[in-house]
Amino acid sequence: MSDDATEFAPSAACSMGVELELQILNSRDHNLARDAADLLGLLEKTPHPGAVKPEITESMIEINSSIHHQYGPLAEELRRIRDVVSAAAARMNLRIAGGGSHPFHKWNDRRIYPTARFRHILEVYGYLAKQFTIFGQHVHIGVPSGDEAFYLTHILSRFVPHFIALSASSPFQQGEDTAYQSSRLNTVSAFPLSGQVPFVHSWSEFLDYFNRMRGFGIVESMKDFYWDIRPKPEFGTVEVRVFDTPLTVDRAALLAAYVQSLARYILSERPLAPSRDVYALYNYNRFQACRYGIAGVVVDAYTQRHVPIKEDILDTLRVIQSHAGELGAGGALRRLAEELEAGRTDATWLREAHRSGGSLNDVARMQSELWMGKVLVS
Amino acid sequence: MNALSYLPSLPPAASPLLLFGLLLLSGFVGGEVAHRLLRLPRITGYVLVGIALGASGLGVIDRELARESQIFVDIALGLILFELGRRLDFDWLRRDRWFAATAVAECVLSFGCIYFALLYLDVSPLYSAVAAAIGVSTSPAVVMMVAQELRAEGQVTERAFNLVAINSVVAFILATVLLSWLHHEHRAGWVTVVSHPLYLLAGSVLLGYLLSWAAILCARWLGKREERQTVMLLALILVGVGGAAALKLSVILAMLAFGVMVKNMDEKYDLMVVDSGRVGQIFFVVLFVVTGATLQVDHLVTGWAVAGAYILARFVGKSAAVLGLAYFSGVRSGNPGMLAIALTPMSGIAIVMVYGTTGLYPEFGAGLAAIVLPAVLVLELVGPLAVQFALRKAGEAGEEAA
Repeated sequence: MSDDATEFAPSAACSMGVELELQILNSRDHNLARDAADLLGLLEKTPHPGAVKPEITESMIEINSSIHHQYGPLAEELRRIRDVVSAAAARMNLRIAGGGSHPFHKWNDRRIYPTARFRHILEVYGYLAKQFTIFGQHVHIGVPSGDEAFYLTHILSRFVPHFIALSASSPFQQGEDTAYQSSRLNTVSAFPLSGQVPFVHSWSEFLDYFNRMRGFGIVESMKDFYWDIRPKPEFGTVEVRVFDTPLTVDRAALLAAYVQSLARYILSERPLAPSRDVYALYNYNRFQACRYGIAGVVVDAYTQRHVPIKEDILDTLRVIQSHAGELGAGGALRRLAEELEAGRTDATWLREAHRSGGSLNDVARMQSELWMGKVLVS
Repeated sequence: MNALSYLPSLPPAASPLLLFGLLLLSGFVGGEVAHRLLRLPRITGYVLVGIALGASGLGVIDRELARESQIFVDIALGLILFELGRRLDFDWLRRDRWFAATAVAECVLSFGCIYFALLYLDVSPLYSAVAAAIGVSTSPAVVMMVAQELRAEGQVTERAFNLVAINSVVAFILATVLLSWLHHEHRAGWVTVVSHPLYLLAGSVLLGYLLSWAAILCARWLGKREERQTVMLLALILVGVGGAAALKLSVILAMLAFGVMVKNMDEKYDLMVVDSGRVGQIFFVVLFVVTGATLQVDHLVTGWAVAGAYILARFVGKSAAVLGLAYFSGVRSGNPGMLAIALTPMSGIAIVMVYGTTGLYPEFGAGLAAIVLPAVLVLELVGPLAVQFALRKAGEAGEEAA
């Protein structure tokens, strides 16, 4: 584990993979359940594409896609994994749900999944480890070299508010409406090694930094950095980690397609130079996206203009249109634009569910019904 | 007029309220002592206090007092069976046919094993059959209370709840149907033979159905307000318990039916899942003290052979079903064994079912009690430990409050 950062394994530019952290609910009151181990055991006996893994607490499960080059097959594979996991869960009378947070679980009810690494995290971070029962989507984008990885990371950082606003699906936490569209990232921010990558421009420069941090005894591997966007040397990817898990796999695939098209635009056209200003404005812009979602207003580090996030995303979608077309994601991004223009986001869906259902139990139930779809009906 | 007539007569007349308070207090103390000093489940402490105060011990709780406390027992059973009924999930059984098969096999095998074991010991077929029917049921109160005490959650816990709900229903229906045989044996008229079980079953189910509709309609009117819905459900549970008793129906079946139907009829999710356990707690303590008090240790001295065979046959039947179909279930290896162990307890419901026949034919009731109650005594004490062991070993106990 300790030497994983020394080599950056190159991979095909703009290949992509998706990781989704999912909620395991009981079917009685739709609180979080604790059945990850049994569910994983049953899934081991069931053939399925991709991979299914444990996460920090027993109420979570993570699904991984394989490596894809196009939106279509990615979406198809995610749907198949979803169906297998949903069917296994239904057999155990459990429910699976998307969304960045569970609306009403109490963090002190959570139990750490029993692996050495997770126990270590509990020891180091105390209650934060249990509060980390939040659910994110990670999108990996392949890059040919470590230097490219840093370039892509610095430019993607400017677009982080887009990712947050488009995926925001954690308006409720611990039984309360937080007033945020994505409250999940506030929990991530509590970790001392969260934040952004250092302002370095090459893999060798980064290695110096990494070795210094290791020398201080702060980190052992890349996994110890909880950065919003981080290079993943063993995969040869840049990993975007700010997304809330959306309420459906289809939305998850759309978001991946957006990052992929954006990455292709950035890597092939090199439209911008890395700027420290992006990081100077970073936390302000990130807050705007978390708090107000697509209605937030961010400051563009390159033009100093204040722009509504919704407008900024629509502009970007127009700019990267041709790249999306090349990648076979033109239709996908058009759908994303339509939903955006109509103001449909997962956070508004969840608040609407609360209004119509009347309780947060109903929200969690409807979340799981939306995620599991036809598996639950059959 | 006596100048001191405001003073109570001596000894002071016991009121039901005083009785309830004393039973609660003594049980509570016993439970805490058992839990803190002996690391036993609290329930075991309640039962031990009951035995100590009851016919086998100091004789403080005599038959008269036990009868007076019946109302508390009924309320406790009503709360537990309602809660248990709400755990019975037909959707789950439909999705996991192997689990449904386990539930059926568990009932059939435990009945079969007990029945034939008793026949082998020269018990007459009618006694064997009724005793076997009672043995099909696992004590819902013990399983639910131990799970609650451990804050247990997971597949073994959830499956145990569902299997207990099913075997309680099956046990009760079997015992009710066997009433026909009992009436027939005692030369009751045909009308009684046919109509009595029918009245009990149909009447209790109908009562449960009416309560369910009332609950759903009230909940729709109240909206999603947890405290309001809790009060409403408790009120309906009390009406149900009292109504069943007044109509000479079965409290057990009516409240189970209420729980099952309210869950499965609530298609628009109007009802919230409320925690009746906290309110129920005080009644549950009294339940176990009283059941402990009714058990007679000397029965065990004379009936140990039958009791041993009964317990063993019952365990073999339940384990064979659970372990036999374990491969097809979604439970981690090792845990099906824990599920089988968690089905061990017998308690209040078994006692109520035994005494249910006493009212009709005292002689038969006494004979049945001699067969079943020694086993209940053992399982009442061993059961909570078994459930505690099983849920802990399965890794489903939460982090316990000290």
